[in-house]
Amino acid sequence: MSASIELENVSKRYGALTVLDDISLSIAAGEFVVFLGPSGCGKSTLLRMIAGLEDVSSGTISVGGRRVDTLPPGKRGVAMVFQSYALYPHMTVRQNMAFGLENIGVPKDEIGRRVKAAAQTLEIDHLIDRKPQKLSGGQRQRVAIGRAIVKEPAAFLFDEPLSNLDAALRGRTRLELAQLHARLGSTMIFVTHDQVEAMTLADRIVIMNARRIEQIGTPMEIYQRPATRFVASFIGSPTMNFLPLTAIEKGQSGLALSVAGLGRVETSFPSQTKIDVEGASLGIRAEDLSISAEGETGIPLKAEIVERLGDRTLVYGVLGDGSKLTVEADGRAAVRAGEVLQVRLAPDTFHLFAADGRAVRGGQ
Amino acid sequence: MREPEVTYKPESLTASRPLLWGAAVLSLIMMAPVAWLVGLSIKSNQDLMMGTDSVFRFPYTLVNYLNILHSSQVFGWLLNSVIVATGHTLGVLVLSSLAGYGFARLEFPFRRTVFVIVLFGLAVPEQAVIIARHQMFSWLNLHNTYLGLMLPGFSSAFGVFLMTQFFRAIPKDIDEAALLDNASQFRIFWKIMLPLTLPAQATLGIFTFLGAWNDYWWPLISATRKEMYTLTIGIASSQTNFAQSEGLGFLAAQAVFASLPAIIVYLIFQRHIVTAVSGGAVK
Ligand SMILES: Nc1ncnc2c1ncn2[C@@H]1O[C@H](COP(=O)(O)OP(=O)(O)OP(=O)(O)O)[C@@H](O)[C@H]1O
Ligand SMILES: [Mg+2]
Repeated sequence: MSASIELENVSKRYGALTVLDDISLSIAAGEFVVFLGPSGCGKSTLLRMIAGLEDVSSGTISVGGRRVDTLPPGKRGVAMVFQSYALYPHMTVRQNMAFGLENIGVPKDEIGRRVKAAAQTLEIDHLIDRKPQKLSGGQRQRVAIGRAIVKEPAAFLFDEPLSNLDAALRGRTRLELAQLHARLGSTMIFVTHDQVEAMTLADRIVIMNARRIEQIGTPMEIYQRPATRFVASFIGSPTMNFLPLTAIEKGQSGLALSVAGLGRVETSFPSQTKIDVEGASLGIRAEDLSISAEGETGIPLKAEIVERLGDRTLVYGVLGDGSKLTVEADGRAAVRAGEVLQVRLAPDTFHLFAADGRAVRGGQ
Repeated sequence: MREPEVTYKPESLTASRPLLWGAAVLSLIMMAPVAWLVGLSIKSNQDLMMGTDSVFRFPYTLVNYLNILHSSQVFGWLLNSVIVATGHTLGVLVLSSLAGYGFARLEFPFRRTVFVIVLFGLAVPEQAVIIARHQMFSWLNLHNTYLGLMLPGFSSAFGVFLMTQFFRAIPKDIDEAALLDNASQFRIFWKIMLPLTLPAQATLGIFTFLGAWNDYWWPLISATRKEMYTLTIGIASSQTNFAQSEGLGFLAAQAVFASLPAIIVYLIFQRHIVTAVSGGAVK
């Protein structure tokens, strides 16, 4: 029932405008893949091309080993859940779910059985004879998922299905989607620009930006080893600190970097790494910085804004040369705005990016 | 815990006095001719010969209505009107829906241009084309036929415009969901889109029907044989032949009788009109 999905050199152009450029991606059967990226990067377009709602300008798409990019949407064996849910307003919940099965001539009793099973799974069986207008947002969302489930598709496609729900319901539905995936074992592609959804749901995340895929990897890979500066800045909250480099030399065991605001730091990046100092930058996550204990030395940072989140405290400050730096400290840290702190670095957590945005590997 | 009682009164329910009086006076002015007509229709022709102020005095009678049942050609005309107005309305609904769906959803060459040309139809008065149309129908031998009475009304620029706007207002996601549900183009139109435009169909249908029912000019030109008259033409012809008619009371009864079907249609469908006008049909 679940199928692999293969995209090969897929591009999408609207006239002279290229929206997706040479995308290749393979998704294993049963995998939960999240397309994550900023608004307008082409996530929906890519999903809609898999669904068959947009033509492919070039390249091929296969589902379960069968080429589908020339087939009409209904024949591809995929089901899609829309951001707007797109329920048929004049049909009851039952009719909404049954419509797709009637169209392919599934016998009546089989339709009844599948609709009932899906409604029970989604706990909407008491709403089965209502029309969408009489349902809450969360209930509509379930019906939309139910409409997909009854088709027993080879793959589920979700385009930002949670974005119209309030925060609490979004969290709950997220968990339920994860459970649904575990139970059905179907291939699922989920589009979002919410990194929490991506991190929590995905087996693998596909980070997209400006027509291209930036990185594909498990949530932890993406978080710990961002392949580009874009990925590093897009994932993680607060945003990673980036400081420009002024010199790169051989150090004692690796590269020694002269970093704006921090001065010279020894790192464990292999010393034979070829990297041009022009445009290069050092990335440090706020959580990899800490505040030195009283009396210890460190890098002086003048705290400008202190955000207390309960379990942790975010300190937004400026370094000696005016560069900005965000540090994550303990929830009980006694920091006040205006104070000058000593910040301790952990060089093996550094990320090094060349001028073209590519991450330099090694070291960590 | 008990629900708190609702004690406020919505302001809109208590309209101001002057407004109420104004509305009442205007309604009276509108209703007076109708009331007058009904009054005339329940007086005997002899009484009315003495003066129409006898409307305000007893006795009243239903004899004029009974005479319609017995003698008049009104029934034939009524049937003609029902056939023509119904056919006209169905034609407009079918064509406007198909065209509206096409303009709103299908890709075809010169779509915008064709749409603009259709809308030009709104600006062309019937008077401008009536002679040419008369000749055309005469060549086609369509005068004095039901088809001839109905056909010109089928092309309703307003209907096409209204339905196009309505189809456009339906979110595209819904078509796409249906596509993914394996529905054919026709099934999407028939099972998904068309039911969603029911309020618009009702509105368009009722206005078209009333327009066709009250239409005077084209039937006057096209239907020259008395048995092909529609109600409007029939009643007008008996009124202009007043000298040979069976009297004022009888004419009034005919007129009341003629407007009943339109009123009935309106009463049946007015709920849909309100729905359509107040919007919220597609959400
Ligand atoms: N029919 C079209 N014609 C021209 N350009 C289009 C068309 N549809 C989409 N685009 C462009 O393609 C790009 C990608 O759009 P898409 O909807 O896939 O973005 P997205 O990543 O889903 O964004 P969001 O997160 O806002 O939903 C956008 O820049 C958009 O302007
Ligand atoms: Mg999108």
